[in-house]
Amino acid sequence: MTISEPLARTIIDPKSYARREIVDAAFAQIRAEQPLDKAELPDFEPFWVVSRHADIKEIERQPDIFHNGDMSTFLSPRDGVERVKALTGGEPNLIRSLVSVDGDEHKALRGVVFPHVTPRAIKPLEDQIRQIAREFVDHMLSFGGEVDFAQDVAFLYPLRVIMTVLGVPQEDEPFMLKLTQELFNNADPELNRRRAELTPEEMLKSLWETTMELEAYFAAVTEKFRANPTGQINSLIANATINGEFLNHRQLMGYYIIAATAGHDTTSNTTAGAMWALAERPELLKAMQESPDRINAFVEESIRWEVPVKHFMRSAVSDCEIGGRQIKGGDWLMLSYQSANRDETVWADPFDFRIDRDQNPQIAFGYGVHVCLGQHLARMEMRILWEELFKRLKSVEMAGPGERTISNFVCGPKHVPIRFTVN
Amino acid sequence: MRKWRCRNCGFIYDETLGLPDEGIAPGTRFEDIPEDWYCPDCGTEQDDFELVDY
Repeated sequence: MTISEPLARTIIDPKSYARREIVDAAFAQIRAEQPLDKAELPDFEPFWVVSRHADIKEIERQPDIFHNGDMSTFLSPRDGVERVKALTGGEPNLIRSLVSVDGDEHKALRGVVFPHVTPRAIKPLEDQIRQIAREFVDHMLSFGGEVDFAQDVAFLYPLRVIMTVLGVPQEDEPFMLKLTQELFNNADPELNRRRAELTPEEMLKSLWETTMELEAYFAAVTEKFRANPTGQINSLIANATINGEFLNHRQLMGYYIIAATAGHDTTSNTTAGAMWALAERPELLKAMQESPDRINAFVEESIRWEVPVKHFMRSAVSDCEIGGRQIKGGDWLMLSYQSANRDETVWADPFDFRIDRDQNPQIAFGYGVHVCLGQHLARMEMRILWEELFKRLKSVEMAGPGERTISNFVCGPKHVPIRFTVN
Repeated sequence: MRKWRCRNCGFIYDETLGLPDEGIAPGTRFEDIPEDWYCPDCGTEQDDFELVDY
């Protein structure tokens, strides 16, 4: 038996993710009744819904069997994938980035930046990031007691951090934020390129335009950093070679684009979600101020709680068994990080925000060789921001209803209105 | 010989195999790996590896 159409529609509908309780309830049912089963919808290639923590880990630890780039890396309807192939000359993904390549190509590309974003490599950035965090805390406090934390802090602070690390000038930050939101929030009329409800065809057209605008921007970046190389990430990308050749156009653009978009949007969503959780739980701020040593637990729980990347797709290259089910070569699988990070067999009270978990093996960053490249930087910048905020905040509560982005891919809160007092 | 797993990404360090590509000879015990070594898949440091039995 396949997953029923209403249930399958619920977990793929971008609007469901704007009301998280709907999607959480749907996945709770799937985990209980059909934890690894197929969805068959007339407008999509059939796909397996992988809902359990253990099954996702097992799949992600076998990158030779489960590929990222053979089929679309995120859930797209059949005709959308065909249009993308027409635009790219046959590739199923509009952007050829780290998340849509496999094997030796993935290893070589990842190796360009990886040594520069390990915990040890980023440690020297701590003071610079703390300075940025303090500026944004001061900025928040300047609102005088009420602020939309998502719009005025959470979207901006990780943007400043990553653009500094990449080597993007501050004056270009609004451009990068706008294009990032267009790229990831295409289904949301408040954030997409047209500022309107779009048909699937219009969505793809606007995504293509955004991608072309980003490529035009980054073409100049390549020129700049090849003329004057620095230690910044964009310079590493511009000057990287594989087998003695510079990265090809699609590799180069894909790398710039993923670093400049996923490098802040995920952290912004997590930070906004954590503030929302904090504002609804007066005891949480008190607990963090009494036990500042719980800061890493707070950050880790924030990541599990918000799960900024809701899913990725994989395709099997050969037959295998996962979770007692027979997967066939060519099958397409939806790895739901939203579901896996609520798995009742891993966490007690998965629907509560808790900083007293002894173990928190969240897999919001993914797992295996495709685990998020920037995860250590993301953790560090969130830890520093919260350390600075916890020193200053006396109280915080919601000042109105929060609002989530309409998206089933990379998303989170877009409005978190809070009322706060300071020490 | 034992196996150790990175808690963050699941990478397995197998003492029997070592990591010759990284200059760690087969048979090298986990505690004898140079201190500046980190998980080759995710960058996690040695403290965050756990012993696993297979």
